[in-house]
Amino acid sequence: MSVKAAKHAVVGTRPWRVGGVDKVTGSARYSVDVMLPGMLYGKIKRSPHPHARIVSIDTSKALAHEGVKAVLTVDNVPRVLHAGAPAPRIESLVKDQYIFDEKVRYVGDGVAAVAAVSEEIADEALDLIEVEYELLPAVYDIEEAMRPDAPRIHDSEGNLVMPPIEIEQGDVEQAFSEAHLILENTYSTGRPAHCYLEPNICVCQFGQGGNLKVWTSTQNVFMVRGILSEVLDIPVNKIQIIMEHMGGGFGGKQDLYQHEFVCALLAKKTGRPVKMEYTREECFLGGKTRHPVKIYLKHGVRKDGTLIAREMRYTSNSGAYASHGPGITAVGCYDGTSLFKCDNQKIEGRSIYTNNPVAGAFRGYGAVQAFFALDTQMDEMSVALGLDPVDFRIKNVLGEGDLAVSGHRLATSGLESCLRRGAAEIGWYERHAKQSAKEGTIRRGWGVGVQMHPSGAYPSIKEQSNAIIKMNEDGTVHLLTGVSDLGTGAQTAMAQIAAEELGIAYEDVQVVAGDTDVVPFDIGAYSSRTTFVGGGAVQEAAAHLKSRLLTLAAEKLGVESDILDLRGGTIFVKGSAQKATIKEIVQGAGGAPLRSLVGEATYEPEVAYSYGAHFAEVEVDTETGHINVIQIVAVHEIGRAINPAGVEGQIEGGLQQGIGHTLTEDLIIDRETGKTLNANFVDYKMPLALDMPKIKIIILEEEPGVGGPFGAKGIGEDPILAIGQAIGNAVSDAVGFRFRNIPITPEKVLETLAAGL
Amino acid sequence: MRRIEYFAPETVDEAVALLGRYGESVSILAGGTDLLVEIKHKVRTPDQLVNIKKIAGLVGLTYKQSAGLRIGALTTVRAVETSQVIQEKYAGLAQAAQALGSVQIRNRATVAGNICRASPSADIPPPLMADDATVRIYGPDGERVIALENFFTGPGQTVLNTDEILIEIIVPNPLPGTGKVYLKHGRRKAMELATVGAAVSLTLEEDICIRARVVLGAVAPTPIRVHEVEDVLQGIFIDEKVIGDAARIAMKVARPISDVRSSAEYRLQITEIITKRAITQALALAKTA
Amino acid sequence: MPKQIMQMMVNGEAYEVAVEPSWMLLDVLRKELGLTGTKKGCDVGDCGACTVIMDGKAVNSCLILCVEADGAQILTVEGLAAQTEGDSALHPLQKSFLDHGAVQCGFCTPGMLMTAKVLLDENPHPSEDEVRSAMAGNICRCTGYVKIVDAVMAVGTD
Repeated sequence: MSVKAAKHAVVGTRPWRVGGVDKVTGSARYSVDVMLPGMLYGKIKRSPHPHARIVSIDTSKALAHEGVKAVLTVDNVPRVLHAGAPAPRIESLVKDQYIFDEKVRYVGDGVAAVAAVSEEIADEALDLIEVEYELLPAVYDIEEAMRPDAPRIHDSEGNLVMPPIEIEQGDVEQAFSEAHLILENTYSTGRPAHCYLEPNICVCQFGQGGNLKVWTSTQNVFMVRGILSEVLDIPVNKIQIIMEHMGGGFGGKQDLYQHEFVCALLAKKTGRPVKMEYTREECFLGGKTRHPVKIYLKHGVRKDGTLIAREMRYTSNSGAYASHGPGITAVGCYDGTSLFKCDNQKIEGRSIYTNNPVAGAFRGYGAVQAFFALDTQMDEMSVALGLDPVDFRIKNVLGEGDLAVSGHRLATSGLESCLRRGAAEIGWYERHAKQSAKEGTIRRGWGVGVQMHPSGAYPSIKEQSNAIIKMNEDGTVHLLTGVSDLGTGAQTAMAQIAAEELGIAYEDVQVVAGDTDVVPFDIGAYSSRTTFVGGGAVQEAAAHLKSRLLTLAAEKLGVESDILDLRGGTIFVKGSAQKATIKEIVQGAGGAPLRSLVGEATYEPEVAYSYGAHFAEVEVDTETGHINVIQIVAVHEIGRAINPAGVEGQIEGGLQQGIGHTLTEDLIIDRETGKTLNANFVDYKMPLALDMPKIKIIILEEEPGVGGPFGAKGIGEDPILAIGQAIGNAVSDAVGFRFRNIPITPEKVLETLAAGL
Repeated sequence: MRRIEYFAPETVDEAVALLGRYGESVSILAGGTDLLVEIKHKVRTPDQLVNIKKIAGLVGLTYKQSAGLRIGALTTVRAVETSQVIQEKYAGLAQAAQALGSVQIRNRATVAGNICRASPSADIPPPLMADDATVRIYGPDGERVIALENFFTGPGQTVLNTDEILIEIIVPNPLPGTGKVYLKHGRRKAMELATVGAAVSLTLEEDICIRARVVLGAVAPTPIRVHEVEDVLQGIFIDEKVIGDAARIAMKVARPISDVRSSAEYRLQITEIITKRAITQALALAKTA
Repeated sequence: MPKQIMQMMVNGEAYEVAVEPSWMLLDVLRKELGLTGTKKGCDVGDCGACTVIMDGKAVNSCLILCVEADGAQILTVEGLAAQTEGDSALHPLQKSFLDHGAVQCGFCTPGMLMTAKVLLDENPHPSEDEVRSAMAGNICRCTGYVKIVDAVMAVGTD
């Protein structure tokens, strides 16, 4: 069955988003909107020093301040080591965080917390806590931190977060010796922040029966529950995590922060609900960033343009704690072996502690950095060989039958398809005809980037999602899904999938999500998994419900269930005029349901891959160095778009972030004091509505995801994985000099031009 | 936000008396778009706020050819941005107003507030200085009038005493044949603090420049009138070479700092470019004025 | 300092509230009046999530002391639908946002809607540039602004 030809009633349409009406009318409840009687406000005191031992903390004045109800420090919180990062536990997790420790390791590290009757009083109380620090020397650079004599931030020599990752394939030395051309360079990426619009928030209440109830903005309700259970020593069934709506995450809300623990402990201590809301500045300081990465990359290529050897050393700057350092470094390294075929490879990966704010999970998870380096060097090679950049990529990208990182063989040459389609759309082969002569102060350039990404975290994480669907007596259903919707539209897609599978209307599916007491387990929203894995579970649960429904219908109608068809809310008997609505089948006498009809599924798939190619056209003002992105063509092959508006929205949003990361976004840490200098929205510069280019999106549905609902694959991270190099390559094309570091600021442009002339 | 005592006087004298009583611990609240941010960031820690928005007679934009433009202290930046007469006759000021913050900010921020805050990178002062604006100041001893270019004494510092209020800005009627421009350089197209700002006003009489004003923002502790550049432009026919020379002089005169937004070196390079572009645009406007 | 009693009209209803002078309009709307639709994204006027319409103008409610709003007429997102003529449960802008898929996480949405409403009140048929300019003070991290601009333009061309 050709996926393209299949027509669906609900899948592939653009209904109003689940929860959309609530969001536009202001009635959608986010965690910060929870107001409870007697609620206190919690705040965290943060270290002004990048590296110090805490000699003493005096909380007496704070405790005596009117309106203060509790103060926590290292002396009165549980001392349990944790990683703050997701369950299920994977090997690469490094446990190096305590709720509060006797050391601080970056400017912003939390040292104490208070609960008070108002935010103003909590703030005043923070100033009354007296902390005596013994300053320790600090390091911010990877190279400095790796030296054997560098100050140890945790307990490892050279500040290694985990043992280095080493990957070898084939014979790299031999292959380099045979290469016609060898290119080597170092690339680096900056320190962008997530800047989700909803600041980190947590509300904790020990309520009925002494159970802990937590409202929090998280991508991972079950992870929060599991880690709170472990660290606070509370059984899982006594903790309830609720996340109705959240204002964005992008990976930044994939870990626990100090404040979930602290909030729960303050609620316990005071016997009152406690709300802890980060200020925007705290989101920068106490939140997470992307890992800045330095990549040494060397390729050997044959005269005909085939890659034969690759050497890469990937070193990520983890900041003060491990968080996702091991994970992103592994992904960066393994994804670095893929995308462009190469039989002989030697890859090394390291993650290094420094006294910077903590780097964590961020959309693109280590592959953003790896692909930037790879795809920039691909451009450099194409220039050196005199080959067209798109043709050179087509020649070397993975194609049908090639092995992906997961060990699966690709079913189509989706990468080539995306490249060809995008090149046609933007007029790639005719681009230089549009270029006025390279004089004048404004130069125009074009660039391409390509990417692939798995729909899920397999094989690093054992994939699992679960769904339960309950049939109601009027033919509508409740869908209980573990899938988290950070704003991505995941719940809408789940509803569409369920409706399609059950042959009922989209409006007849009521999604229940975000409450760990009610919904079945899911490992969280990350790794572009919600449509493929979450949706797969929903489809299977719906299929299960459908089969039970048809069995009941067969009984009631006196026929065999295999001649029954279900569509449009009606059950048809094939080859007969006999039919009945779902309601007529499930409802018994007196309007009660005939029996309990529930479908459920546990889905543990492997993985599928989505592909994409981005083409960027830019203008560079060679007097000011300012870069203007004129247009972007984004081609994505995703198997099946469950909701095209949702897919487009993910791509458009990912492009905004990618443009920001490549041109204007960088958290600047002062190398003397360790202070973050631009922890606000004016000096940390995200693209605004005025800064966005013209965007053309092409969605291809050519390679159904095997095991994906209706062939759908993921899209969440794909949009940010090719745009950086597309823009970087376009800027390089415009000015004639290569840029290997992002963000490409106007100052770097002018410096490069000056150096080159 | 920190707890404060709040006053909302209805006359200027009441306001001035409050300022006198509380001295260093009181701040004037007009638009609040800068003050309240500073209080929240604990950069400023007043114990009292005097809201001057209830004082009658401080709002208002009037223009008369004979008297020029009079801007009441409480006039919002948005009112200045959208004023037809300002767009026509004081285009640099209109551009500066439009470049400030966002619509939401401009609906509250006052022109006087932007001046009194005296940030080195403020947008409103340069075009006003290029237009030879003066400001009326009211205090316990009555009024005084000061040329805006003499108003600033350092970053965040002005000639205002703690018990004085700026109540009006007066801008002379432009001469015929005048072209005015304010260019703001920043990394984004809005919500920016200028890395460099340049206001230029040129008056042509039969192709000769009879009056030139060039004011730079964000490249010195205060906005600066660059007399050295004005001297090069005045009394001659301005061509591309003159503009180039003028721009290079501007770069030599500027003394920017490095900060999180930009390095000093980059600001100097931009000073030259922005000055060149501002003069070029003002010249074109003057030719058609 | 003792609390002050002040009056304001919010979404057509008269309110009398006792507030401390240091309380922001945003926090009073959310906590005292229970109108939690208006959001706090940065608390310093940089993101526009707190945008409300005060006396006909779009303003950042995080930068207005509640006492400054004494006597003011305020419209928040909860009052937007009632501004529509006829019997619709949703304002054309709200409907357009849903039709166009302009809502993702939804945190910026109330602010975007209020800014858009004032824009269209003042300029019923804006160009795309004018829309983007007017929305420059509203940050979105999810949508790339594309569908938000489309949604506003669609109402503008009606």
